[in-house]
Formats: sequence, C-alpha cells, structure tokens
Amino acid sequence: MKNYSLNIAGYKIKFESAPDGPAFEPSARFAGSLVRGQNYDVLVRVHMGHFVIPERAERVFHAPFVEEKEGRSFKRSEEFWDVYRGEGDRLYICTIFPLEKSLERGTLVFSFKRNIWELWIEGKGRKADPLTYPLDGLLLYYLTVISNDIMIHASGVGFNDRGYIFSGVSGKGKSTIARLCKDAGARVIHDDRLIIRKLNERYHFFNTPVYDDDKPLEAPLSKIFLIEHGRENKILPVNGAMAVSQVLANCIQHNWDRDIIENLVNAVTDMCKQIQVFRFYFKPEPSAIDFLLKHDSE
Amino acid sequence: MEILNQVPSRSHSVVTRKTGDEYIIVPVTGNIADMDSIFILNETGAFIWEMIDGEKSVEEIIRLVVEEFDIDRETATNDVLGFLNSMKEYLIIKV
Repeated sequence: MKNYSLNIAGYKIKFESAPDGPAFEPSARFAGSLVRGQNYDVLVRVHMGHFVIPERAERVFHAPFVEEKEGRSFKRSEEFWDVYRGEGDRLYICTIFPLEKSLERGTLVFSFKRNIWELWIEGKGRKADPLTYPLDGLLLYYLTVISNDIMIHASGVGFNDRGYIFSGVSGKGKSTIARLCKDAGARVIHDDRLIIRKLNERYHFFNTPVYDDDKPLEAPLSKIFLIEHGRENKILPVNGAMAVSQVLANCIQHNWDRDIIENLVNAVTDMCKQIQVFRFYFKPEPSAIDFLLKHDSE
Repeated sequence: MEILNQVPSRSHSVVTRKTGDEYIIVPVTGNIADMDSIFILNETGAFIWEMIDGEKSVEEIIRLVVEEFDIDRETATNDVLGFLNSMKEYLIIKV
C-alpha cells in the first residue's frame, strides 16, 4: 500500500509514500480508523532513509524513554525522542522506536504553519508503519497543538447524550472508573488518553487508537471530573482559576515554546468557562456510578 | 521604606491568563512551563498584578489598592509587599 488516510479524533490524516518511500503496513489498531477520500487536515509524505538534521537546528526538548507501572515511572533509557527548531518555522522530531526492532530511527520534519509534513524512516526492510510508537502520539499531539485542541490524561464515557471525562495522572483510577461506567451501561470512549475539541461551539472528546481494531469514538463533553480514590463517594465543584490549573496539570504537553504554553492555557481556560469541573472522590464499586448519575441529574 | 519608591514590572518568564476576577500564572523557565508550580491570584492579587506595569511605584500601587478595596493603608501595604515578595522571581524591580 502506497497511500492511505485515517480519521482520528476527527482529524483526517493522509499518508503518502514518496518515490523513495516504504510500502505501508499500518498496525491493526488503525484498521478501524481507515477512511477513503482525498481531503486531509495533514498530509504526511513518507521517505525511507536517514535524514540529517541541519547543524544549526537547536534542540529544544528532550524526552527519555520512561515507562509507567502502577503509578510509578521508570526510566528505561536516556535516548528516545527530541524536538529541534530549525530556520524559519521548521521543526524536527527525531526518535528511536523502542518497541519495533525492524525500525531504527525516524525524523518528522514539520511546521505549525504548513499541513504537508515529511517523515523519514530508517529500517531494515522496505515496509513500515508511519505511526509506529512513539510517532502515533507525537503526530497526534502536534495536530492538537496546531488546532488549539487539548490532549489529556483521562478516561471518558458516554451515557446516552451525556459525556463525562475522568482526569488524573497514572494510578488515580481512570481505567477503574471507566470499567464501572461500562458495567452501568456506558459507552467507553477511552480509558487513558483523550483528545478534546471544540467543534461548532460544543466540546467533544475523542479516543485515539490503542487496541487492535479500535473504532473512532466520540461523545459530547458535559462535565469534567478530577478523580481521587476516596473512603466515600463525594463530588465537589472546582471553580475558576483553580479548575483551570488542575485540568492543565493533567494535559499532555511539550512546553518548549511560549506560544504552545499560551495556546494551551487559553484553550483550557476557555473550556473551563463552558464545562463544569468537579473533584470526584470515589469508592471503586458500582455505588460510585449511581452517585455520579444522581449528582448529574440534580 | 526604600521599597516604596521602587518600580516593579513583570518579567517575561511567566504566561498569564485572566479568568473571571482571578489570574493564572504559569512560570516558564528556559521556555519550559512548570505546570506543577502554577500561581492562582485572587481578586486582590489580580488587581496588584494588573497595576504592575513598569511605571507605577510601589507607593502608587498601595494607594490604588486602598482606593479599590476600601481598606486601610497598613493592610494595603502588607498585601502589596507580601505579594511582591511571593512573586519576586517573576518581577523586575527598578529603583
């Protein structure tokens, strides 16, 4: 396959293999996101080979390879991915692929002002998935940045026409509460990471493909809950600047550029004016969902 | 007090956003935001922050706080000096 398009979180992403590019072999987790059509929000042209980052480019962000287990972070290696800023508005993300042995290195060359991005992949064969980890998350993250959208550590569910997100860092109970909601009849949009977008003056949240055959899912955003395990079920409103700062702390962010920081602060502030934020202390049992639904109906 | 004649201005090492009567202040060091150290300014702090413009002296800011919140000078002085001290990393003070 030499080109294909995906719909992820409402973004149309088209991949096109350059004449020197690979045959595409997208992961099964993107199978449910394949779409037809020539329109795109971003076109990624993919090459096979090594890309040399210009000497004058400045490294502005470095990410080591960190794994999280049971709420704790473990650094697996210093080398992972870096962002470089070149001349003009040119940006480079250089990464290794720690979970894919057949690929060695990838470089995404892009700009916040252009919607045609170039990707170089170095590997042993002539086949590649251009969204091999961590490129999937990175590409989606920078799509949210250029669109003034929000990527957040949160699980999210839909109960009919009501959508709730449960935000918190690892270990706060995002998956647990999503499972409890599912048992109570909710549609789980995602249990760990969401993209929030304002479309036609209303906020919606979307999943991102993680599991095989994940389908694009979305729900309207009704309320945001900052979750904590508690001895009893309790919901307390969080207002104003405190709500903004608490939500901001759970957003996925590469804050190496002042404009990125300002845009995120503005996006979250605007959202918190329209969407109520609560702190939700919950017991990990079905009573938590009864309590939540009763609270929402009052 | 010597500080009353000094003129504070805001440094560029923060990103700010007003919401209602409050301000969110995100410290930025080397272009990296510190989201674990966000400041929230209440109505009084937000007013003092807005008065810090690189032109007004501390004395003038205290006078404006007295007028705005209808409080005595001693309370206003404590509020303004306390604010300047807590935010000193994010202010530039000119004599």
